[in-house]
Amino acid sequence: MQPILKMESLKKHYGKGKNVTNALNGITFQVMPGEFLGIMGSSGSGKSTLLNCIATVIAPDSGSILMNGRQVQNLKGAALADYRGKEIGYLFQNFELLDNLTGRENILLPLSLHGVSEKESGRRLAQLARYLEVEEVLDKFPTQMSGGQKQRIAAARALILKPHILLMDEPTGALDSKNAKALMEKLSGLNEREASTILMVTHDSNAASYCNRILFIQDGVIFHEIRRDLPDETRQEFYARILEVLAQLGGGSANVL
Amino acid sequence: MFYKLVFRNSRRERKENGLFFSSLLVAIVAFYIILSLPYQDVMRFLARMESDAVNRLLAMIPAFYGLTLCLMFFLIYYASRFQLERRRHEFGVYLMSGMRRIKLFALLLAEDFQNSVAALLLGLPIAVLLSELISLLTARLVGLGIIGHQSSFSLTAALETAAGFLLIKFAAFLILSGKISRQEIGTLLADQPEGVRPQKPWPVYAVALIGGIGCLAAAYTKAIRGLAWYHIMEMGRTLFLGTAGTFLLFWGLRLPLGLLARRKKSGRHLHVFHFRQLQETVISRSGALALGSLLLLAALCFFGAGVAISRFYGEAEHILDYTFVEEWGERSAEEIRQALQEQGLEEQFSHLFEVKVGYIRTTEDYEHAFEMKPVLEALDELQHSSDTSADSSEDSWRNGSSLQNHLRQYTYPHLIALSGYNELLAAAGLPELMLGEKEAALFQDAEFANEEDVELLNTILKTRPKAQLDGQEITLTGEVQTASIVTDRSITLALALILPDEAFDYYTQENYDIYLNGILAEEAYAHDGLMAAISSLNEKLDAAGLPYESYLQNMGRQLFYMVAASYITIYLAIIFLLIADTMIGVQFLTGQRKTGRRYRTLIWLGADYRMLRQSARKQINWYFGIPTGIAACSSLFGIRALLNGLLSSRVRSNMSEMMWISAAMIVALCMVEYLYLAAVKRISDRYLQGLMEPEREE
Repeated sequence: MQPILKMESLKKHYGKGKNVTNALNGITFQVMPGEFLGIMGSSGSGKSTLLNCIATVIAPDSGSILMNGRQVQNLKGAALADYRGKEIGYLFQNFELLDNLTGRENILLPLSLHGVSEKESGRRLAQLARYLEVEEVLDKFPTQMSGGQKQRIAAARALILKPHILLMDEPTGALDSKNAKALMEKLSGLNEREASTILMVTHDSNAASYCNRILFIQDGVIFHEIRRDLPDETRQEFYARILEVLAQLGGGSANVL
Repeated sequence: MFYKLVFRNSRRERKENGLFFSSLLVAIVAFYIILSLPYQDVMRFLARMESDAVNRLLAMIPAFYGLTLCLMFFLIYYASRFQLERRRHEFGVYLMSGMRRIKLFALLLAEDFQNSVAALLLGLPIAVLLSELISLLTARLVGLGIIGHQSSFSLTAALETAAGFLLIKFAAFLILSGKISRQEIGTLLADQPEGVRPQKPWPVYAVALIGGIGCLAAAYTKAIRGLAWYHIMEMGRTLFLGTAGTFLLFWGLRLPLGLLARRKKSGRHLHVFHFRQLQETVISRSGALALGSLLLLAALCFFGAGVAISRFYGEAEHILDYTFVEEWGERSAEEIRQALQEQGLEEQFSHLFEVKVGYIRTTEDYEHAFEMKPVLEALDELQHSSDTSADSSEDSWRNGSSLQNHLRQYTYPHLIALSGYNELLAAAGLPELMLGEKEAALFQDAEFANEEDVELLNTILKTRPKAQLDGQEITLTGEVQTASIVTDRSITLALALILPDEAFDYYTQENYDIYLNGILAEEAYAHDGLMAAISSLNEKLDAAGLPYESYLQNMGRQLFYMVAASYITIYLAIIFLLIADTMIGVQFLTGQRKTGRRYRTLIWLGADYRMLRQSARKQINWYFGIPTGIAACSSLFGIRALLNGLLSSRVRSNMSEMMWISAAMIVALCMVEYLYLAAVKRISDRYLQGLMEPEREE
């Protein structure tokens, strides 16, 4: 099976001279179709830079990002806009809903950007709204919704064009534990039901426990990787393993010196 | 470090708020030009002849300046408030870094001062150049090449401009920075959400929209029928209806904009987004937009009316070049004629003729010296028939009635001798007036005779009505005569009778004034032009000590009205236009920056620069288009009302021509709007391009 996303020797630095920070220092990994991959690491470890490089918001200094075998850095103009809207879906920590648009208008926004007729996606909208339980807030403005509802509307918006991969940047960061759990259950269900590919950057071990595989990043390189042993390993057991790795990362020999 | 920061911040401010900075420049230019008005060639020329009127006008200029300074203060306050709000976070960071509040205040003051000085350094030279250009241009346009150009630069005007400008900038700054520097650091650092405005049910907006349109329609009707000028209360009601209508209309606009946003337009990118953006702005700032529209309306009205009025004053009919009046000096008309001959000046004139004007001296019964009952009765009848006729209009009724009142009061009219008047007609290339022994013709100066009145009287005169002159019957015949009998257009006769010379001599008992009128021979002015010829002849006449009134002085008077009307109305129009456009432009651009995150989200979702630019440009078109469109529509009625109220009855007959001129002016001003629109679009494009650049968000 071909990987959906392939990163090779990805490097990115910020600053000049003595103040250089190597945010990504030659990262290499792959994401397989239908995989739910988590990326964890402390603040400044480079995980958001990695996500932003994949989303083409920032350009890496060297290395390559291949999406379905196509070099992402070379995309320009309409192809780049198409990539952003159709090949990837992006879920932000702060939802980034347009607060002057209703829930329905927010979800349909990518359609108007990419010239897709609403008729075609009408069924998809109804399906997503039902699955994510946001039907009753479709005609409300974001200010009239709860945090959980906002993030589920944002998820529907990210998924409306059936992207090849869903990128999530701390999706539970602005939610309480109940809403965070509800969201992760819905997204993990989507991953199982529709074999959607998801790449999630998170601090939250609880959210990370929904993943199939987790990469731990430190100082711009992959420090460790763990894989959930499905179907034998329960989510609780996987969660315990994540905590162990985090304890090592935070207090292990690597940080003593 | 402090000065470096001041320098950098103020430069950034000028760059980011180019639109506001340019508006300040235009304001400085406008201020200087109005303050240097006394030094313009035209004004210097006029001051020599019409010093009283010119001085009165010049005395009003400080008041105009003060008024416009107040208006500009509000614009500066409003625009600066948006700019300072945008920098709240930055101020919070300064304070968190240990900067004392007094130092922050000093920093902002120094930035503001530097920007003001930059605006003055750039604006004043432009103003001086432009004022010089206007001075040369107006002098040339009105044919005053003879008066000689003098520099219009005035240090006083420059200093007053600088002082006024710095004063309002400083006052606005004091209030705003006081407010900002008193706030808690936490409040400054936190993002200030716009706050959700409670939405009312849609019927409320529908009622407001319909009510607004209704109020505007009522105000338009009052304006166009001239009802607004009947009484101060009526004028107040019209203005109130117009203002309230505009505010209600803008408040209710959120309904149609919401409907437009919901309309499905599958082929268009971001259709919903830009209508929602517009709707949001209209919701949160409907009052400011309505105010902007009203200011635009004021600018359009001033400009349209000003240009139309100045055009009328420039078009006064001109036959006579000189009038020598016997009563002014001790010399008789014959002596003046002789003096002209002696000085060799007589050959300068192609026509030199006497017009005799006198009073009825055969009776002292001033109340009944002249009666024209049949004419008044005929007017009465006409009024009665227009009262009952189905297509009677209020205007014709009013005309008939006012003309009747006007004629009734003239029981002791002036008398004009036929021979002199016929010479005047011959000079003007008009057919001679023929009167029999017991016949007379009615004379009304053009100033008092509007076309409709003259037509009405001519209809009656065709019936050859009888009148009583000192108890003797005379027949009124011919058409109403309106040719000016002297050069001075300020000397007018509201009603006079033209009599054959014998009858004139009898009724005046040969006690009358003689006006010796002269028309320059073509050879006299063929070389240097009429103005120069009159000017040089004036010098010779002055030297000879002859009393005279020349077309030049008369033209000076007309020119004064023209310059006064056009300068002041156009000045006010520019200031209003500037305030309205800057307000709308700054409002849009700050709103765009405030919602910059939305544009970023759109980029994340795959919007490219072309789409964002297109959407922002559409928003700008609508954002400017709505207030401008409503103002342009209202101005057509507003200008008509202004012209109706301000112009004399004669000029009102040229209403349709003036409305065309005004409409052309409105189109010209809309083109200025277009330029503003283009500038705002360019700034918006640059901002969106900046957003497309990736940035680190960690």
